[in-house]
Order: sequence, then structure tokens, then C-alpha cells
Amino acid sequence: MTGPFVGHPVLRREDERILRGRTRYLDDIEPPGAAHVAFVRSPFAHARIGGIDAPDGLAGVHTVITHGDLEGRVTDLPVQGFEGGRVTAEGHPVLAGDEVRYAGQPVAAVLAESRALAEDAAELIEVDYEPLDTVLDARRSEVTMSHWHKVAGDVEGAFESAAYVVRASHALPRLAPVPMEPRGAIASYDEADDMLTVWVSAQDSHRQLAGLAAVLDRPEESIRVIVPDVGGAFGSKGAPAPETMLVAAAAMATGRTVKWAEDREENFVASYQGRGMEADVELALDADGTMLGLRARIWADLGGYLMPTTAIPTHTTAMLMCGVYDIQVADVEIVGRRTNKVPTGPYRGAGRPEAAYFVECTVDVAARELGIDPLELRRRNFIRELPYETALGWTYDSGDYARCLDRAVELLEPERHSDEERVVGTGFGMYVERAGGLFETADAELLPDGRLLVRSGSSPHGQGHDTTFAQIAAERFGVGLDDVEFRFGDSKEVPRGVGTFASRSVAMGGSAVMQAVDALKEKCDAVSARLEPSVSLREIAENEPGLQASARFKSELVFSSGAYGAVVEIERATGRLRVVRVAAVDDAGTIINPLLAEGQVIGGTAQGLGECLVEEAVYDEEGNPTFASFVGYRLLTAAEMPPVVTAFVETPSPLNPLGAKGIGEGGAIGTPGAVANAVADALGGVRIDPPFSENKLWRALREAGA
Amino acid sequence: MKPSPFEYRAPASVKEVLPLLGLESSVLAGGQSLVPMLNLRLAQPELVVDINGVAELDYIRADGGPLRIGAITRQVALERSELVRERWPLLHKAIRFVGHHQIRSRGTVGGSVAHADPAAELPAALIALGARLHLRSSGGVRALDASEFFLGPLYTAREPGELLVEVEVPKQPDGAGTGFAEHARTHGDFATAGAAAVVAPGGRAGIALLGAGPVPVRAEAAERALAGGAEPREVAALAAQDVDDEHRRALCTELAHRAIEEAMG
Repeated sequence: MTGPFVGHPVLRREDERILRGRTRYLDDIEPPGAAHVAFVRSPFAHARIGGIDAPDGLAGVHTVITHGDLEGRVTDLPVQGFEGGRVTAEGHPVLAGDEVRYAGQPVAAVLAESRALAEDAAELIEVDYEPLDTVLDARRSEVTMSHWHKVAGDVEGAFESAAYVVRASHALPRLAPVPMEPRGAIASYDEADDMLTVWVSAQDSHRQLAGLAAVLDRPEESIRVIVPDVGGAFGSKGAPAPETMLVAAAAMATGRTVKWAEDREENFVASYQGRGMEADVELALDADGTMLGLRARIWADLGGYLMPTTAIPTHTTAMLMCGVYDIQVADVEIVGRRTNKVPTGPYRGAGRPEAAYFVECTVDVAARELGIDPLELRRRNFIRELPYETALGWTYDSGDYARCLDRAVELLEPERHSDEERVVGTGFGMYVERAGGLFETADAELLPDGRLLVRSGSSPHGQGHDTTFAQIAAERFGVGLDDVEFRFGDSKEVPRGVGTFASRSVAMGGSAVMQAVDALKEKCDAVSARLEPSVSLREIAENEPGLQASARFKSELVFSSGAYGAVVEIERATGRLRVVRVAAVDDAGTIINPLLAEGQVIGGTAQGLGECLVEEAVYDEEGNPTFASFVGYRLLTAAEMPPVVTAFVETPSPLNPLGAKGIGEGGAIGTPGAVANAVADALGGVRIDPPFSENKLWRALREAGA
Repeated sequence: MKPSPFEYRAPASVKEVLPLLGLESSVLAGGQSLVPMLNLRLAQPELVVDINGVAELDYIRADGGPLRIGAITRQVALERSELVRERWPLLHKAIRFVGHHQIRSRGTVGGSVAHADPAAELPAALIALGARLHLRSSGGVRALDASEFFLGPLYTAREPGELLVEVEVPKQPDGAGTGFAEHARTHGDFATAGAAAVVAPGGRAGIALLGAGPVPVRAEAAERALAGGAEPREVAALAAQDVDDEHRRALCTELAHRAIEEAMG
């Protein structure tokens, strides 16, 4: 069967292999003779390290590595800056030197014959810690690690002339990403060829490659990164990990293959987290509710160090603080502060959920203060003409925010009532998200048997590239899905790509696939024109072996958007919150596969609901994580999932040949604002921040007297 | 998450188990709590005594008298027992709140009791039912009321050399109704709080709370009030009167109310 495939709900062709257990995750790779790593991690949130004493002759132990052993072999992890902002050079050390800045930070590494022996030995290593004062609150921290500030238009004038100035403060807690498969890496060094091979559970190979090259100070040509099957990441396997660097350095130093397969406890305490931002927002409006200007000061709790991408979500949050509204006057500042917690970094949404939450909750506060229906207030202020350059400097390429909201209202069926047992309320939240950007690559090749092979720079970790990209390739090439094969994730084989994050795979990687396949098709057509019109692809391959074409697709950012609505019910006696139903309307431009797109929406919504109901990485007053297992950090189960009604609005992006934007994060971005507004609606205007625990809601109900 | 080294023994009879018990040994039954604690190195026993092969402790029987449950009986067996569902329905109701199906298929009745998590369902239900717990050691046997067994979180009256061998639940009065209610933040999670109630015609009642303090507690004042004809709402408030935190007190009151109402039909 040949196309059309684009726009059809094709079943994921990777699933059979996955469901039959034929996948190969990092820990399934068992190189013979590998040394296994266990880390000694700091039990203190902040301490000076006096010395480290590793007893000699521990059973089954190959070597113990500390910071001193790495001198001259590694640098700290690099720090990525961002446009218009500044970051300090506080990159994460591979192993702690004379200071630890969060509980869980790697201090030493033990290489042993098995992970169990390595853990036994790790317990016997004595580290002399001198505890120091801890800082856990971003607002109180005196160390700024990232900063961005922009003023556009006459802000003072707008606030002075305003009929109303609405002020609201909001906070989103830190969240653990909790991928089903924890992190891990295996490294092997071939001294004869001076070639370092690193298998790593990661979102893509090339960011790992660049990180390894920088930290080990080696040419990229001397490193091969292979990403095997990956069981989820949600952002947490994008930036290279200090532990991966240690594994690579240890393989080079010892000549042995070295393996680190992280366990759940390590993943909780040492994998970078998401959110952890709070904001004071002021909105100036005229008498009829027209938004005149916005002021926001945002604090980000960045943790002890800057991971390579720690500061990026702060920039994204700041840049999206005008949301989907036509506000040309704005003063937005975001400060990223050092705290004694594990660093933060991109986590599904990565700055966008923060902005959407801060803006949309403020809009509801304004609607209440002005006595205007919150939907009406939104409609009065929507950006209507696109492309639109925001006051903060991004250009929204396409969108129809009013249509998204209308559709969400229609699907949700709002409710607002109360009786002796419960209060019920409805809320909506809009979002706009940056997606895509930078470049992505693909190489297409006609195989001798007439099938199509595509090597993609963009690689999957659960998204379904093998299906969606095949739909694009097969349709453009005029063949069946089974005639298209994809290769991903091996830096030696695939062309240099950017990576799978920021909802960018289809818009960027998909467009590169399309262009590479189109170029190959042209070459095939030229051959067939020389032969006869009905010649088969196999005959073309026989006549002209090795036909191939490459594409590198580059574009500005595209902007997905959407409207989310939620109906919630709060039980008076206990404060228990039940999300009754959710409506999710997303505009991701052209949808390649509505089945997978809806899967992304529901998955993102589940994570957004988790954030609303139960998720929060709580540190005690000394900075100890209380969430080192699923006893202390809960995830939603299917039983808590309400019905989610989804719909797509498709305003194609003018910036890529597919018209695609991004769908990977919408649910996580749109849900918290909608649920928070519904909770406030049910509580008669009393606002609290997530997670909406029984305890908090019960107290809020009493305060509200609702 | 690898346990520290330990010695492992898997005897086939209670007689062989008893000499192995002591301060440095842990009893492995269903492993739903001990195994995670071993892996997190929260428990580092020198010896793990696996009693899964002790078939003599796997039974549910009544023979017209009290219900007797062997300690190694899987929770799922209790859940599926027709006898339990008909004559001790509170246990059937409570067991369905224990973790998830997979956990109940491995977890044992004795394990849940001996582990003594303050949020566990079975201990509260057994207290409400007036159950007795039978312990054996090399020195002999003894039995304790369930309400005397729990001393603190993960801490019981069981001596290091003793093995919990049987849970005995007395026959319930004719026409007694039962109720069980709990809140957990997610399905199958540890309970935030819960309540178990048995109410016989005439008002004689057994009421117990879980998650209300460091151990499951019998609400004796509430039981007396109910027997004296008090309204369920008032009884529930009495049941929760000693709970410290204001919200938790409200939660326990509500759950006790639901359990009592359910029991009174």
C-alpha cells in the first residue's frame, strides 16, 4: 500500500518489537569484563570536603576515583548561555572538589566487578564533610547564576494610565522527571585507534557527543556515541550528565569497559529536575479590560550548579510572559538563583508551563477583579493578526487562539455549583509554546532492493519517529511504509543532528526527512526518465547503484498554541480534589499522525495533572530530599486520570514544508493553568498553588467560606 | 539499590525456622516491604529467613469457630476467600485497599501485620474485629490481642526470637455490619488515613483508625458512645478526637463516619 499516509492514524510500527521485549535498553547491554560503577554521593546539601579515605584491598573493587584523580583529564560541564541574558561559569563538576552543593552530588566513583560489590565498597569510603549553611529558597539566595531583563514600550506610562492594576503571585514546585528507564552509560576505549565509544541512554547522540568532546577535551571525530532504545526522558536525558563523563574518563584511564546503570534512588536525587519557579506579576488594564502592559519578576531555583541547559527554561519562561495576548508594553525580569538542591533543567514544557501558569492565573485574577467573564477578557485581548512580533522579541508564526478557546469551551461543558458535600468549578488556560528552531538533518539512500533507507539526525526516545517519519518518507517517495527503513542514534552512522527536545522532531527532523526524500526522488526520476517510465525502484537501483541525497533543514522557531479547560470538584469534608474532566485543544499545525499526536496530548496532560495533584520534590529544612523513592514522590495512576477530550486546530506553520509545529509538550503546558483556575473558581476566588493536596484545599475551603 | 551481603536460609517448617530467628535475622514472607528495605539498605540483616516454603502456615479455615489465617497466606487468597467475604466481610473490604493486585498476590497476611506500617489496612481491620495474634518461639507459644501488638511505626510486641504464625479472628455477632473507608493520594498508595468499623445489632461496635497516629488505634470512647445510642456523626468525631493535626482530624472524622454509616447499613 502506498500513501497518502500524512494525516492518518497509522499504528506505531515500533510497538511490536517493544511489546515483545525485543528492545535493547542501556542496561541490556552487558559487555564482557565490564567494571561497574557506584557513586558515593553527598549526604549533605552543602558541605566542605576535608578529605576522602578509601580503604585498600576492598573485595572485587578495581579502583576508586575521586576529584583529584581526574585532574587534567576532565573539565567541569560546559554552560550554555542564551540570547540577551547572562550566566555565570558554575558548570557542574564531574566529581565534587572541595565543596558539595546538594545532597546526591557525586563525590567519588567505585569501579568493581559488579554493581553490588561497588555499592558495598561505596559504603566503606569515608568522606570528611564539614557541613555549611544551606540556602533552599531562590528569593533568599544571594547568588545569581542567570539573569535576563527586558523592557519594551512605556511601562510606567501604561501602569499610570491604567484603570486597573492587578497583582498576583504564583509558584510552581520542583518536579522530578521520573522516566521509566533511569539514566546510564557504558564507555569503552580503544587505545590503538584512540577511539572512545560511549553508549548512553539519552535523547539524542550529538549533544552527548559535544559534551563529551568538551569535558574530555577530545576531537569529536575520536568519539562515537550510540543511543540504544531509550525508555523515556521528558527532558532529563538531554544535557550530558556528570556521571556519563565519569564513565568515559574512567574507561580511558583504566582501559576497561565501564558501565553505570543508574538505579531509581539515584535518578530521584541526582537527575536534574524541572519547574521550581515563582513570580510576581502585575497586569495593567483599561476600564473595558484591554491589557495595557505587564510587569513580571520571576525567581528560578536553579540548584547548586548550572547544568549545560539549566538556564534555558528561564529564558523561555521570560520570553513567553505576554502569552497569547496583544500586550506591546512589558517589563520582564528573571533571576536564576543558586540553591543547595540538585540542578534544574528542561523538563517536559521547560519554561513554557511556568509562563502559561503565571500568565493565565493572572488573567483569571484580573477577570475576577474587573468583574468580567474570564473567557471574555481573553477574547478581548487575543493576538488576532499573525505572524506577530511580541514585545519581548519572538515572532509567533501562526495560530488562531480564539478558535482554540471556542473549541475547548464547546468540548468541556463548563460547570459551577456547590452543595453541602462539594464545590465544583471550571477553569481555562491558554498557552503558546516555542517549538522547533535550529536545524535538523537526514540522509536518504536507495537500497539495492529498491527500498528506502533514511538516516535521521533526529532520534526517538518514545515519540514514535519510526512511524511518523516513515509516513512522511513513504508518502513523498510513493512507496509503502514497509519499504522505508530508518536508522537513528549512532553518531558514526547518522548525519549530525541537533536533538529531540522542544517539541521539534516533526517540524525540524520531519522536514529534513521530507527534503532528503524529495531530493532522492528527483534523482530516481531522472534515472527512470533515461530508462522507461514504468521502471521499478529496484531496477533504478540496479542501473544506478548508491543513489542518495541529504538535507539539512533550518528554520526559525515555530509557535504551537492551545486552550485547555478543566472541571474540578472539591469535597468539603476532606479537601479531596477530583479533576472531573479535561478538554485539550492544541494547534500544532499540520498533524502527521493524529493517533500519536493525541497520545502526546494525553501523556502530557497526565504529567500536568500529576503536577496539580501529587507531584512535588520536597526538601526538608536541611536540604535533604524526601523524595528518593516512590514512597516520597508519587505519580498518578490510571485511576486518577479523568476523561480527556482532545481536538486539534490546524493553522499550518509557514516556516516548514510540512506546516508542522510541535505537540510533545502541550498537555504539560496547558493543564496546570486550567486546573488552577478551576480550583480557584470552585473556591470562590481563593488561589493556591499546586500540588493541590487535600490539606491545602481543606484549609482554603475554610478560608473561602465557599 | 543492591542489598548488603546477607546469609539466606529457606527452611520448610516452623520448627526449623524458630532457631534461626533473632536480633540479626529478618523474616522474608511476601517481600513487599522487606525487599525494598534491603535494596535501599534500610534493613541490613545478617540472615534472611525465607518462610515462603513453610506450607503449614498457608491456610484459611473456620470450622464453625473463629477464622484462622496462617501467616504466610497471600493477601489475594484472603481477598478471594468466599468464607471471608461471607462471614468476615470487613477483611474482604480492607484487603482490597492494600497496594495493587500485584502486591497482594505476593504480600502475605502475616507480613502486613508483622511489618506494622501505621498506614496499613489489615492491622486496623483486625483491631476492629478483636483479632488475636499467635506467636511462636523456641520457648513456646503466646497470643496477644491485636490492639496490644502494635507499639510504634514498624515496631511491635513480637520478640526477636518469635514468629507470627496465625491470625485468629473471633466469630462476629449475628447481623453485624461492617464498613471500611480510606483516603490515599493515589490508587494503591499508602493510605493518608482510614477507618474500619464493625457494628452489631444493639450498637456493640469495634472501631479502629489507621494513619491517625504512630500505630493503628482502637477508638474505645467512640465504641462506647455508639453502644450508648449516639449518632454516627458524633461517634466519628469521638473516634478522631485525639488526632493532632486539624485537617487529619477532619479527615479521620469523615472516614470514621463513612465506615460507621456503612456498617450500620
